[in-house]
Amino acid sequence: MVEKRALVFVTLVILVWAISISSLAAYFYFQNMMYTKQIGENQQSLNKTASNYDELMSKYNILLGEYSMLYGIYSFPSGNFTSLIESLGRLLDSLKGNYSSLLMNQEDLNETYYTLKEDYELVYKETNVTGEDFGRLLNEYYDLFNLLVVRELSLVLSETVTLNVNACIDYGNGTTNWRNETKMPAGSSLFQLTQKIAEINYTYYPSMKPGHVLVDSINEKKTCTVGYSEGWSWIWYYWDDNEQNWISGPVGCDAWMLKDDGTYKWKFEHWSWP
Amino acid sequence: MKIRLLNTRKLALFGILAALCLAIQLTPRPPNVEFTSFFTFTVGAIFGTLYGGFFGCIIMFVNGFLSPYGFAGLVMPFQMIGMTIAGTLGGVYRRLMPEQIDSARFCAETAIVGAIIALIYDLVTNIGVGFWFVIGGTNFALAMLIAIAYGVFFSIVHIFSNTIVFGILTLPSIKTLNDLVGSEKIG
Repeated sequence: MVEKRALVFVTLVILVWAISISSLAAYFYFQNMMYTKQIGENQQSLNKTASNYDELMSKYNILLGEYSMLYGIYSFPSGNFTSLIESLGRLLDSLKGNYSSLLMNQEDLNETYYTLKEDYELVYKETNVTGEDFGRLLNEYYDLFNLLVVRELSLVLSETVTLNVNACIDYGNGTTNWRNETKMPAGSSLFQLTQKIAEINYTYYPSMKPGHVLVDSINEKKTCTVGYSEGWSWIWYYWDDNEQNWISGPVGCDAWMLKDDGTYKWKFEHWSWP
Repeated sequence: MKIRLLNTRKLALFGILAALCLAIQLTPRPPNVEFTSFFTFTVGAIFGTLYGGFFGCIIMFVNGFLSPYGFAGLVMPFQMIGMTIAGTLGGVYRRLMPEQIDSARFCAETAIVGAIIALIYDLVTNIGVGFWFVIGGTNFALAMLIAIAYGVFFSIVHIFSNTIVFGILTLPSIKTLNDLVGSEKIG
């Protein structure tokens, strides 16, 4: 016979075991619930991205079709460009209608659109539209259209992806400000990052590309020139991980798209020419 | 209830044990590996349930302010309750102990008691943690369940370490302390 005292202690051992195992089971149950919820949220986010992508591509195909039709007529020899200019106007309106929110939120694109629209108005007023003018407008339209598509695709991506970037402002007098781990939506340009981390003034140059923006001042430090041969300007660089070196920006800051974990620098520096 | 007053020798021993226990408790150590419940249980076994409970309560009160893990906050009262139970169980165990018990069995029993003390202490303190969730707006029952479930790994470490500490240290400690204060023989 097992004595009563031994039974009590065996019961206590079983109690400890049972409560521990039950707690462990509860822990895994809660973990499972949490992961299931997370997976559900991720799936929902992916579905939303896929649906937005479909919508975007349908829009892209329609606009591209309209452009292609106009381009076909333009390419055809002995075309009457004066009669075609109205079709281009409708294409521009259609572009604005389809990308209105993007044009409203992105200053540089908005400016590009209105510059193109102004050019169009000027050409439209002419009694005889030349093939050269029409072709130039059509090319500018196509560039803007592609830029809008890229930006909107990036915006769709930014619903699920956020970029972490590092930025530095070197005032050229020994003062350097770093803004590490700055969060930006996917598809942001260096121009947008600079606007976020500093007070800037800039000038928009329609004829300059890729990128139309030149920064005039950052945090009230202004660029200046002495005649045409030398001056002080804000120049941007990006850090090249392979070369382990700063590389001077090859395009305007509004055309340079940020990458995750990228490092960028604005430097106020002296230049002279020749 | 009749409370027996401690004589000078016992009082001094009580003070020394409290100081020793606090010194060990406030020393940085792996989480949930502790000697306080062992000391409290031993004090309960030597001095009785009331002194054991008081010992655990006061140690956890001081620990709540001086712990290397920081101020215990809302959990402190629950830690005090948990350790009071440990001290009380020391006294209860002593009362229920047979007059003659062999060493191996005594070690096995105290190891099991150590495990159950760790379990009770963790359940009580996890309820304290659960109150944080309740304050944060979680449903009461769910908050308690989450707190207990997410404390399970700490509990397992605590139960395992207490089983070893109680199983190894209780017999020699109680023997030595009994010799010092002059009481019944164990083992």
